[in-house]
Amino acid sequence: MQNDKNFYIIFSIILIFMAVAPLVIQNTHFQHLLIMLLLFATLSQAWNLIGGYAGQVSFGHAVFFGIGSYAAMAPLTHWGLTPWVGMLIGGVVAIIVALIIGVPVFRLKGHYFAISTFAVAEVVRELFTNWEWVDGPIGLDAPVLEQGFYNLMFYKNKLPYLYIVLVFFFIMMLLTFRMERTRMGYYFRAIKQRPEAAQAMGVHISKYKQYALMMSAFFTAICGALYGLYILHIEPATVLSLDISIKIVLITALGGTGALWGPLLGSIILIPLQEYSRIWLGGTGKGIDLILLGALIVLICIYEPRGIVGLLKRFNFQKGKN
Amino acid sequence: MDVTIFLQLVISGLLIGFVFSLIAVGLTLIWGVMDILNFAHGDFLMLAMFSAFLMFANLGVDPVFSLPVIVGLLFFVGLLTFRLVIKPVLGYHALIALLATFGLSIFIRNVVLFFLGPDFRVINQSVLAGKRISFLGLHLSLPQLVSAIGCVLITYVVYLFISKSKFGRALRATALDKDTALLMGINTNRVFALTFGLGAACVGAAGGFLVNFYYVFPEVGLNFAILSFVIVALGGFGNIGGAFLAGILVGLVENIGGFFVGPEFKYTLVFILYLIVISLRPKGLFGW
Amino acid sequence: MKKSIILALFLILLLGISSAVSAAEEVEVALLYPLSGPLTEAGKRMKSVYEVAAEVINGSYDIQGVPYAKSEGIPGLNGAKITVKFYDTQGSPEVGKAETERILQEGTAKLIIGAYQSAVSKPTSFVAERHKFPFLCAVSSSAALTERGLKYFFRVAPTDFHDSRMFFNFLDDMRKQGKKVENVAIVYEKTEFGVHAMKEVKKRVDESKGIYQVVADVPYAFKSTDVNAEVLKIKAAKPDVIIHATLFSEMTLFAKTYENLGVKSNANLSFCGGYQNPKFASQLKDTVEGYMGSCTFAEDFIRKKAQLKTINEMYKAKTGMNLDGIAMEGFTTLFVAVDAFSRAKATDPESVTQALRTTELVIATLPGKGVKFDENGQNIWIDSTMSQIQKGEYKVVWPSDWATTAMVWPMRP
Repeated sequence: MQNDKNFYIIFSIILIFMAVAPLVIQNTHFQHLLIMLLLFATLSQAWNLIGGYAGQVSFGHAVFFGIGSYAAMAPLTHWGLTPWVGMLIGGVVAIIVALIIGVPVFRLKGHYFAISTFAVAEVVRELFTNWEWVDGPIGLDAPVLEQGFYNLMFYKNKLPYLYIVLVFFFIMMLLTFRMERTRMGYYFRAIKQRPEAAQAMGVHISKYKQYALMMSAFFTAICGALYGLYILHIEPATVLSLDISIKIVLITALGGTGALWGPLLGSIILIPLQEYSRIWLGGTGKGIDLILLGALIVLICIYEPRGIVGLLKRFNFQKGKN
Repeated sequence: MDVTIFLQLVISGLLIGFVFSLIAVGLTLIWGVMDILNFAHGDFLMLAMFSAFLMFANLGVDPVFSLPVIVGLLFFVGLLTFRLVIKPVLGYHALIALLATFGLSIFIRNVVLFFLGPDFRVINQSVLAGKRISFLGLHLSLPQLVSAIGCVLITYVVYLFISKSKFGRALRATALDKDTALLMGINTNRVFALTFGLGAACVGAAGGFLVNFYYVFPEVGLNFAILSFVIVALGGFGNIGGAFLAGILVGLVENIGGFFVGPEFKYTLVFILYLIVISLRPKGLFGW
Repeated sequence: MKKSIILALFLILLLGISSAVSAAEEVEVALLYPLSGPLTEAGKRMKSVYEVAAEVINGSYDIQGVPYAKSEGIPGLNGAKITVKFYDTQGSPEVGKAETERILQEGTAKLIIGAYQSAVSKPTSFVAERHKFPFLCAVSSSAALTERGLKYFFRVAPTDFHDSRMFFNFLDDMRKQGKKVENVAIVYEKTEFGVHAMKEVKKRVDESKGIYQVVADVPYAFKSTDVNAEVLKIKAAKPDVIIHATLFSEMTLFAKTYENLGVKSNANLSFCGGYQNPKFASQLKDTVEGYMGSCTFAEDFIRKKAQLKTINEMYKAKTGMNLDGIAMEGFTTLFVAVDAFSRAKATDPESVTQALRTTELVIATLPGKGVKFDENGQNIWIDSTMSQIQKGEYKVVWPSDWATTAMVWPMRP
């Protein structure tokens, strides 16, 4: 397990970087970039549990994301309840929803599963759009409350958001890393690579898929809550949209599906690429930034179909040869 | 409840359903044979619609006559896409192909935006557009009627081609087991390329019809693409007949269900239908 | 692996440093509009009109009733030029928020104008409010925006409330002339825009105490593939008047489907949306003959106010289209900004906001006297008129002091 040492070293470097960089560069937009980057890295890692490790591609993670953000925002808006409790409620509700969805859906294979998760997400979105208590399609705005950790609201400074997201990122990464090394991690890989063989060996496939989905749902909901509290405005059209579901999948795919560093690498590439191509080339109304973004995504795929993780491996391997 | 209204709902549902069918047939070919979800499918549709519109606006060629050109063009676009984007990622994780087509989708949409601008365009005066047939208080819009008939015919031709021709046999063999097909001397890459071209040609035909009664703008494909994903899964992946019937079913559910339950729920009903069907038949209506 | 990750982190750091900014000499105004994505078309029109407005302000034009046109630049700031810089919201609240923060971070802009959708104007203006930075909203129509008690938020356009009130004043007037208008069908997209507009209509219907009935309440999903079910629901209810809160894409589908399925009503009224886009009339021609909608500007206004021809010509040269109401609201908004700068004789956020609060700009571009904000930041000097598509052109038909043309009633002969 010489890999373990490597992991901890790299991981510490990243954490220190994320903690110190925004202090050095006092640029709110740069801090925004880091927040989004970490948030989507965490989200994608949560998706990676079910989609990457357990091999069940979900196109409907917006369900959990949306539930999380509504669970934090609605009690905050209506009763002034601290979003920390709401966040927890969201996580628990997401786990329950994962249980309910899991039972019928895990019988399905491959694309049927993916489209089902998407269909569930669309139905849930419609439910929220017609739910008066959360203001239907209009969505919820965070009320202007006192700043601080209790309300999880910071007006002048973005750093607290960044550090909170960083904490969850830390937990998520560590959890995934530990899981890879437990019995469950091996089961997941077995389920993904040879489901029949795994079953023959006595692995209860559905049970472990269910665990993976529940864990994934919980963390996705937490991220949804953080997103809502950070943006301060949520509506079904954004937090329950296919866009969110797909973005999570794509970041993981870009980085490397089922790889520990995949989600982080994916968001390190995709999020700044999106932000800065818009900043440098956007605003023309001609979509030059998006032409570039699309072309780059295609090129990355063609050049290294194993994702960025594969690219790095190739890089290291070639250097080793010299 | 007025009987004419109900009949009209059925007719309208069928007419739009046939168009869904043809779009879905194109998608199911690619998805079923290559196991690749083509995210740029909707953008192929948009390309077809834009080409038809431009030929109409600049050269005065009516969409009815430009249809063969559009189909050919899209076949070529499909081949090109396969050659440049899909082939390099074949054999890797399926999500990479998804990512690649997603990138392609953003690329195509914005290249069109760059050169043609964001405006909505509508063809309102052509051989078909704006004309209708009325009888017994029922109305059939002529462009939709012609589109529906065209869609049925093309789907039937594709079906015959796949089930009867030599290429069709190679295609089905490849879909079932790529490696064995390769061993048996089938050039699977060629099969894949032609399948991709054929799938794109189908959606091209649908676009050529659609432009007669639908607006065109760079983002137009998305509305149809999402629905066609569900239709394909509903019918069973790779099953042309399944996609065809599922498309009609979705058209009917969307229209009749939307009327009785509430139009804002019409897509929700389609998704619920899918979830019900899939929990009874885990491989779709006609999946094997 | 280790080195690559460190390299990647280093590159991100570089990005952060590179976005340092340079100071500009002119007075810069930041504009937030959707310049990519499904709403690009609307965003692009706004972009063009602001460029025209800046040209008029910075150059010398003789346009009667439009202050700051004749003088070059901003008089109160020794003729400083105004520059407009565009930021792309992509039609998303998240991106809009990020862009607003970037504007504030860059620190060169003295004022923010935006956004197009109410759903984006809301979170972006919250960001500005928290930074105590003046935010001018040109076109978002949700009445809720100016019911939030924000201190740094101002809106020039009329709201859904104004439009719905105008609609029902109009219908009252028709009723007095003995026309049948009591049964109303309401059709709206199930988004912030549609739902807000229809809430206002329902309030007006309730206030009428039984004179009007909503016979069909038809919400639909934005980005529909077809609208057959919707239209048949309307047809089954046999309304006298159909009221739409619909964007361009679905509006064309509705118009075509009404025609295809033979739906007849006396009038078809539209909130600010697809109807107002000049392409709607020019592309659909006969299909939409007789449609009506709220209107704050159409080419037809030039018959009453000949001086606006110059502006329309400039816009037309840029876009190939006539000005529409939304574009004219944008045009006026930049003048409100210039007026505030000029009176404040300064560009710091507090002085500009203070000047905006005391705005009393008499300007001939929009119906109504001009621009004056109430304590919530809503323009109370604005009116709306009713236009009708006649032979492919927007004609003002109501109220009588604005009307240029007789109305065609019922809409189909």
